[in-house]
Amino acid sequence: MARILVADDSETILLLLRTRLEMEGHEVITATDGQEVIDNVSASDPPDILLLDAMMPGKSGIDALRELRATGIQTPVLIVSAHTEGGDDADHGDLSISGYIAKPIDFEALFAKITELAG
Amino acid sequence: MLTGLAVIGVARFLQQRQDYENATARSYQREIVARNRLAEGRRPAAARAAVVSQQHQRQALRDEISSETRDTALLVGAGLIAGLTGAALLFTGLISSMRRPLEDLVDASGRLAGGDLDARVKVGGLAETATLGGAFNEMAEELQRRAGERDQLERMKDEFVLTASHELRSPLTSVQGFAELLLLEREKLSPKQAETVEVILDNTRHLVRLLNDLLDLARSDAGRLTIRPVETEATGLIEDAVRTMRAQLDARGQELTLEVAHDLPQIEADRDRIRQVLVNLLTNANEYCPQGANIGVKARRDGAEVEIDVIDDGPGIPEQQLEHIFERFSRGDAGETQRVGGTGLGLAISKSLIELHGGTIGAESTPGEGSIFRIRLPVVIPARVEAI
Repeated sequence: MARILVADDSETILLLLRTRLEMEGHEVITATDGQEVIDNVSASDPPDILLLDAMMPGKSGIDALRELRATGIQTPVLIVSAHTEGGDDADHGDLSISGYIAKPIDFEALFAKITELAG
Repeated sequence: MLTGLAVIGVARFLQQRQDYENATARSYQREIVARNRLAEGRRPAAARAAVVSQQHQRQALRDEISSETRDTALLVGAGLIAGLTGAALLFTGLISSMRRPLEDLVDASGRLAGGDLDARVKVGGLAETATLGGAFNEMAEELQRRAGERDQLERMKDEFVLTASHELRSPLTSVQGFAELLLLEREKLSPKQAETVEVILDNTRHLVRLLNDLLDLARSDAGRLTIRPVETEATGLIEDAVRTMRAQLDARGQELTLEVAHDLPQIEADRDRIRQVLVNLLTNANEYCPQGANIGVKARRDGAEVEIDVIDDGPGIPEQQLEHIFERFSRGDAGETQRVGGTGLGLAISKSLIELHGGTIGAESTPGEGSIFRIRLPVVIPARVEAI
């Protein structure tokens, strides 16, 4: 069981992720853009894992992650991307991303990765 | 001018020849008159002398004409040589003034044909070559304009497909996700409701498959379909693909036999992409073969290559379809495709992916007996595989 911050600009996808993750027994906080992600991570009770949508209007998941890594925050991150696996994602080798999740989401694979990260 | 001299010479020769023949004819007439007199016995001595005199006169005429002919021939010859030399000089000048522009044209045509749409020639020189050069440049200009328009349309199409597939993915994620969520609590649904949700899910998965295929094709067209090869266990890769397909094969009561040679090596391959190809071939066998069909996967090493066969004992593929089977939207006959519901893109993408690995894919089939799809993958990807 982990405390997971989920960021996506779509309310429906947030609802879907929250429902599935809570059914697995995780605690879920949500954000709808990159700035909210930064605010939440800097808060007194930071999440264990970040599940970030790569593309969000305003500050994207990748932008937020870059800022967090620059301030030394090492929270494990999974990037959710609308692009298919091995496709058009640029290599973000320097951001120590723990994995990519393609849309539509394969929840079994997502749960397995979360269990691995929550260790 | 010198040619004019030759013409004058020829005219003089003809005139001399005429004069000679007239004079000779008159001399013969006089000789005949003299011979008649001789025959009649009138003044025989004078007649005999006249005959001899006419013969001498004709000899003199002959000598004269032959010496004049020689002179005229010399004159004509000199005139002709001078004329020809002049013509040759003129022609050489003409050729050399045409050669440069013509060589340029040949060179530019070659470059244009080779795809260099910037190829142009310098317009100049003789009127004819200048016109030719001008026409060539106009043609090249038009070709370049059209190629530019076509490239722009291609880019717009690629961008459109990439954007559309990206935008469609979010709503599809919701539809698929919530349908799955409903089925997680199947016990709370009536059988009718559960069936309805299954239909939603099936169709959503089909849409996602279509979207992924279209995206792969757009990437392929834009030269952006790429592979990320790693050293990988060929055996594990094949078993993995077969495992993914087990449930679907079991659902149609189809028997799958896996025969993998023990000496199958490590290969350089993009695991996800090779699995995608194998799953595509197995999905086709699963969907096009009847319930209870036999499906086999055989793999063996062949020198520096690994050969993987996907074999079935299904209805087979008619020859005229087999030829086009790796083309886009090439599918079985209408009745079949209604039932099967594939995208018609799977084999075209599979071919691109295998070729990116430096390998080949082919199909053989005997209608009524079954089909074999054969993949040959190099153990090590050749240094430079052309973008597909």
